[in-house]
Amino acid sequence: MIGIIANPASGKDIRRLVAQGTVFDNMEKVNIIQRILVVLHYGGVKDIYMMPDSFHIMDKALCFLERNQKVQVDVKELDFDLNFDQSDSIKAATLLREMKASCIITLGGDGTNRAVAKGSGDVPLLPLSTGTNNVFPAMLEGSVAGLAAMVADKDMTRECLVLRQCKRINIYKNDELVDIALIDAVITDDMFVGSRALWETDSIKEIFVTAAKPDSIGISAIAGSFRPMSEAEPGGLYVKIGGGSFRTWAAIAPGLVRPVPIREFRETDYDTRVRVETPCGMIALDGEREVVFNKNDKVEIEFTDKGPRVIDVQATLNAAAKKGIFVDKEVATETANCPGV
Amino acid sequence: MKLTNNDLIKLYGDMWYIRHFEQRLADLFAEGVLPGFIHLGIGQEACMAGTCFNLGDGDIIGATHREHGVLLCRGVSGDAIMAELYGKVTGTCKGKGGSMHACGLKQGALGNNAILGPAQTIVNGFAYAHKTRKNKKVAVSMFGDGAANRGEFHEGMNFASMWNLPSIYIINNNGYAISVPKSKQQKIDDLSARAAGYGIPGVSIDGNDLIAVIETTGEAIARAREGGGPSLIEFKTYRWRGHFEGDPTPYRTDEEVAEWKKKDPIKRFEKILLERSVATEKDMKGIHDQMLAKVDGHQKFAEDSPWPPMSEMYTDVYYYEEGSDQK
Amino acid sequence: MREITVAEAIREALTEEMERNPEVFVFGEDVGAFGGCFGVTTGLYDKFPDRVIDTMIAETGILGIACGAAYSGMKPVPEIMFSDFFSVCFDYLFNQSSKARYMTGMQEGGKNAGFVLRAPNGAGVRAAAQHSQCVEQFMMPVVGLKIAIPSTPADTKGMLKYAIRGNDPVVFLEHKMMYGISGPVPDGDHLVPFASADIKREGTDVTIVATQMMVHKSLAAAETLAKEGINIEVVDPRSLKPLDMKTILASVKKTKHLVLVNEAPKTGNALTEIGLRVVEEAFDYLEAPPVRVCAPDTPIPFSPVLEDAWIRSEADIIEGVRKALA
Repeated sequence: MIGIIANPASGKDIRRLVAQGTVFDNMEKVNIIQRILVVLHYGGVKDIYMMPDSFHIMDKALCFLERNQKVQVDVKELDFDLNFDQSDSIKAATLLREMKASCIITLGGDGTNRAVAKGSGDVPLLPLSTGTNNVFPAMLEGSVAGLAAMVADKDMTRECLVLRQCKRINIYKNDELVDIALIDAVITDDMFVGSRALWETDSIKEIFVTAAKPDSIGISAIAGSFRPMSEAEPGGLYVKIGGGSFRTWAAIAPGLVRPVPIREFRETDYDTRVRVETPCGMIALDGEREVVFNKNDKVEIEFTDKGPRVIDVQATLNAAAKKGIFVDKEVATETANCPGV
Repeated sequence: MKLTNNDLIKLYGDMWYIRHFEQRLADLFAEGVLPGFIHLGIGQEACMAGTCFNLGDGDIIGATHREHGVLLCRGVSGDAIMAELYGKVTGTCKGKGGSMHACGLKQGALGNNAILGPAQTIVNGFAYAHKTRKNKKVAVSMFGDGAANRGEFHEGMNFASMWNLPSIYIINNNGYAISVPKSKQQKIDDLSARAAGYGIPGVSIDGNDLIAVIETTGEAIARAREGGGPSLIEFKTYRWRGHFEGDPTPYRTDEEVAEWKKKDPIKRFEKILLERSVATEKDMKGIHDQMLAKVDGHQKFAEDSPWPPMSEMYTDVYYYEEGSDQK
Repeated sequence: MREITVAEAIREALTEEMERNPEVFVFGEDVGAFGGCFGVTTGLYDKFPDRVIDTMIAETGILGIACGAAYSGMKPVPEIMFSDFFSVCFDYLFNQSSKARYMTGMQEGGKNAGFVLRAPNGAGVRAAAQHSQCVEQFMMPVVGLKIAIPSTPADTKGMLKYAIRGNDPVVFLEHKMMYGISGPVPDGDHLVPFASADIKREGTDVTIVATQMMVHKSLAAAETLAKEGINIEVVDPRSLKPLDMKTILASVKKTKHLVLVNEAPKTGNALTEIGLRVVEEAFDYLEAPPVRVCAPDTPIPFSPVLEDAWIRSEADIIEGVRKALA
């Protein structure tokens, strides 16, 4: 069984206004879902479940498929009431895990995947990028994602399915685990959650990143601009922002370039808690302001290798092709004499 | 965005001011005191208070009959607004406009345009004047999801985009155009998507989150002031009461209303005030009571005010009346 | 006195007013470098490139800007390409600008609704039913609106300048067939106020009240009838709102006969208002009921033979006078 979680809210927040983010239209998500479903259908995947959403992405995709391709795909909606916030993604992921999904395809940005990761447990994720900050998910064509998901569903023995173990950041407030992040945790002296996004560097005081990628945008890019760190390298990077040592610059949002003064930085091992220095403010997780803390709170951040597992699409499809998953032996005999085959 | 404690206290007061004022109108209407129609914005206080927080002298905002709260937040006299709704001569429009046309032009509150649509083009005229005069002021048009289907919404955005005007379009999407739900009004859910069709940024946010409203409108307004042009903001919100007072609301369920009341913008803001130690429960009660007393005062003023004299029927038709001296 | 055409008179008026007040601006479809579809704003763009603006095809958008800019104290002069298209943006004339002062109780800062909406009016160019109407009859009942309907270059220039300086919304109707008509225009700051009907020809036997092209046809008819010894007085109201009834009543009290000549169809014709007011206020002076010389109650046909017959002629006016005198 395959699960699909498409976040209708991704790609339309305040970063459209303060940065050069284009609107990732929900109609484009409908298109992507169509492409995924056509491939799953052709590949014989029978059980497909989708998170319901306010844009009715699923209904639209199925309607267009039937009209344009004369294809009727059996997709069921997960049965729960929507809150129209991130808890919907968490709930959907939790249900899909309980129903033993082979994988969950996600359409969203870092924030979406973070929410999904809170409920998905061990279920492999296949994240497609449709958000603003897209360090975690990949730019992947829908049909290709459908292929990889199909392999995950069919490959019971896990011969072809190649997974990558992702990192995770744990946030502890007064010794209690209060939240997680997949890419970055940013300590700011902001007072409010408000519109959630981060676009002003003045308030950023400390950053924790699992991957520091100069070939990305956002917080990861800041660290990546002077100390690149891949997902494969164990541990994480802790950077203190402020005057002192040197200055760097990066695109912190689409088309929004800012200089960033760096005070100091250090690599941090897994399972080591780092105490946050900023006395009070907000913690932004994967690009969204999330956790409040005050003067009397003890805030600690920890890197672990206990994040979700993500399907390595290229390696998986290569292995599947070599194993002949796409080939039908009878048809192959007929076409063997055709030129070009 | 840095908000001081004083800002936060003021905003809290603004929201209670709106709520008490609107609730009083509901009570007075039920008693048969207020003539005509009343449309209340209870539940949408954050949209109003948050937006107006970012407006200053010389800026103009045109909202709808549901936004008496915008008039209050722009500094239009609560006495005069209440009197106008009673139809008294001390009202903002000498009693000749009523709830449908109450306004405070000096305070930059254009008031309601009872035809849904023209406001979205008229705002461009103000914006054009601002642009020509290079005064860094903005013109805001605030309307509902229903009005977003009028042709003028589209002509307005196209003009604003083409002429690069400091116009800001704000949709209070409360999910209903009188009785027709949004699912029967348009195929898309996020009306901010329409902005892309005119080459301007469009944002959809939680309109019951006061800070999100302030941040988003703040960015849009700052951008417009600096010549960055127009933008479209959609607030997801909900009206607690019917479209008009007396509306039995057969088109929605009590459960839905209860769900949305859980997202009360005032209660949510109280949590922040407490969390950040900006105000205590006692402080908040004090503000609540202070605003209630203000509204009591407005009611008394309106009750004690005289009706318009018959002569008012004939005045204000032309600026230069027939035979008068135009220079 | 020098002679210029109606089109030149409009251009002069706009130029002079734009020089006088930097917040006067002209906008509409093709009014800029193209000079307008009837060539009226030719050259204006070169003089005022920032203030003569081409718009999209968006009559409601155009009128919205006119209202908002006027409320802000600017002096917009929007142009709508054909007066027929007023139907598209009628809300701004009917519900918005005309009522703005009243609904807001004439608040300080809300006093201004001073825009002048210009448009070519009338038939005769084979443009068929949706591009040939006279539309003053739709504006007559709109309280708070002013209507200018001049017939000569001098009146056109004077009224346009006067309208632009005012603070009320004005519908300024120009007749398509009149743009090329020449006439004397005084030098200097020539202003013609509203509610000042003009006696274009003095007479004693019949009062003709006529507008635009019908003024010229009435004057021609008067010359023909003069040969029969019938002496016509031609009164040009120049503005329909506000209306100078004083001059019209004085004329009818003198001649005792009234003929109303307007290019639009008969039912609901704009001049009907004048006819009934004369009956109300000068009944005892009338020796015959007022006669209306108006078009048939049909849309304007395309075929030249039909259009020419549809538009009232000098002969129709003469027939009307004879009916009044019968």
